Amino acid sequence: MNRKDFIQNIGALSAGMALPADKNWQSKNDTAHLLDAGDGFKKPPYLKQGDIIGITSPAGAITLEEMRPAIAVMESWGYRCQIGNSIGKKDFTYGGKDEERRADLQQMLDDKNIAAIMCARGGYGSVRIVDGIDWSGFKKNPKWLIGFSDITVLLNHIHTHCHTAAIHSKMTNSFPDDWATAEPIQIETILSIKDALEGRKTIYGAMPNPQNKLGTGEGILVGGNLRTMENLSGTPSDITTDGKILFVEDTGEYFYSIDRMFWNLKRTGKLKNLKGLVIGGFKVKQDVDEEPFGKTVQEIVLEKVASYNYPVCFDFPVGHQRANFALKCGVKHRLQVENEKAVLIEI
Amino acid sequence: MITIPPYLKKGDTIGLVAPAGYMHPDKMQTCLDSLEDWGYNISLGSTAQSNSHNYFSGTDTERLRDLQLMMDDKNINAVMCVRGGYGMSRIIDDLNFKKFVKNPKWLIGFSDITVLQAHVFSRYKIASLHAPMAAAFNEGGFNSIYIQSLKEALEGKAARYDCAPISFNKKGTASGILVGGNLSILVHLLGTKSELKTKDKILFLEDVGEYLYTIDRMLLQLKRSGKLDKLEGLIIGGFTECKDTERPFGKEIYDLIYDQVKEFNYPICFGFPVSHEKENYALKMGGNYSLTIEDAKVVLEENISEEENEKHHS
Repeated sequence: MNRKDFIQNIGALSAGMALPADKNWQSKNDTAHLLDAGDGFKKPPYLKQGDIIGITSPAGAITLEEMRPAIAVMESWGYRCQIGNSIGKKDFTYGGKDEERRADLQQMLDDKNIAAIMCARGGYGSVRIVDGIDWSGFKKNPKWLIGFSDITVLLNHIHTHCHTAAIHSKMTNSFPDDWATAEPIQIETILSIKDALEGRKTIYGAMPNPQNKLGTGEGILVGGNLRTMENLSGTPSDITTDGKILFVEDTGEYFYSIDRMFWNLKRTGKLKNLKGLVIGGFKVKQDVDEEPFGKTVQEIVLEKVASYNYPVCFDFPVGHQRANFALKCGVKHRLQVENEKAVLIEI
Repeated sequence: MITIPPYLKKGDTIGLVAPAGYMHPDKMQTCLDSLEDWGYNISLGSTAQSNSHNYFSGTDTERLRDLQLMMDDKNINAVMCVRGGYGMSRIIDDLNFKKFVKNPKWLIGFSDITVLQAHVFSRYKIASLHAPMAAAFNEGGFNSIYIQSLKEALEGKAARYDCAPISFNKKGTASGILVGGNLSILVHLLGTKSELKTKDKILFLEDVGEYLYTIDRMLLQLKRSGKLDKLEGLIIGGFTECKDTERPFGKEIYDLIYDQVKEFNYPICFGFPVSHEKENYALKMGGNYSLTIEDAKVVLEENISEEENEKHHS
């Protein structure tokens, strides 16, 4: 079975196991409507037809034109899209000045008519505004925040500060231009966002990798872009990982830099007490000037976790790649790594 | 109380090691000759004469053992790292500092060696020398004021460095313990037991080959982890070979740095000669310095205590 078939068959077993409807979750006045995500984490209310998804760019610049395909698809799912003021703005690399991006995100966090916030794209910039955000409204009325890459800043910040679940997934700039001609993996991954927003529990599989460390572990899922996470070390947005399942991915980094970042994870105590480790895509930058680094990403990871017993899964479909499925951070998952298969199951 | 290792005297021995990247022996010859000219004996570690064919000068075990031997050997009076690269992070937690703490000696280097120097200072309060390494002696470098500054630092002469003032500077005077090094490494150490405490200190930073947005992100990380708000002074060294993204970041390097630090009231100077280029004065991590920033001049002056002087000349 090739990888693509496997992902189609197992990768997106976003099984139609809808959560039992919680009759309180339409009440917006207190937090009683929030589903318990386990270990003190809250799940924002899932979306229903007619709900509004706000689109904002806390980091890089993007035009409305570039996100037309995303809007069309999300509207076809029965949602309405509200375009934030940062969309179409451009301050060099940013989607507007810091204050413009901050105000746009703040408005969407506080607007009770907005049921979820999709970040338009990554790039760089979330860390420039995160400390200016007032999270008190969001804590009272949490909503799904969606994104990855640079948005790891926000995902990890709300993990630590708001104990609220969020969705690590593709953003508006990853929707296929033409749904009709898109490849199955593009469609599956975009549909995984819909499934996540609608409260279907997710099950994702990865191709078996002989380097995987076998075993089963259960815990809250947390993680994101490795570079971004290193840059949160020691700051108020830093995460703790004890008892959790950690996932990491990255792109465009040299081997030495990936190695150094895994040392940061290890030396900040983030690898010691995990229940499982999920390694997504790592696009490595080759350094032509230097002698070969001499270790693969798998070797880099395995030597750091050699003394630990939790399961480790490589080649998981998350990262800066087409196979990038929606993951619910702050929600309890089970990682099952066996010889023939590796699955991450939302529980 | 900070421990200042003993300064060197003629006939002392400097051990040379490569705890990170590989370096061809030919490239360190001028350095060896110069150190001998200065009156020191040389002890070449195995990693400084390695025949490694990959990135590192040896396996982790080999690099660890070589550095450990040099640090522990009572006949070695200072340890010079011949180059940086990458690799200190892989062995730092396996080093044993027991003997070194009893018999501290100067650890010389910069760049990746910031890992070792920050660790030794934050864990054991032992000063070290952020200074040029072997390659800087080549192409006539051994005659430069920067290499001379290393020679004088090892001899215990108090440093006095001048730097051309530039418009971004924030005027003022500061006195305190100097700490710092490579920005990428300093942020890499945040959250670990090697991270630097910077309260009431003068901090110096330098880096090479980073994207502008990455430098912005690293400065924010320092700021958000509370490393910038309680400084006595800040020294911005060279940020050389900066890279920009396809969509331009929109700021020059000093503009970018200035924007991140302008809210602070302590004196700040830009373009201080500490860098990956040949402009790289020897600075003591853990040394006591005074920084004076005026319209017409910038001076960093080292205050060597009388006690140190007495110890040195006794």
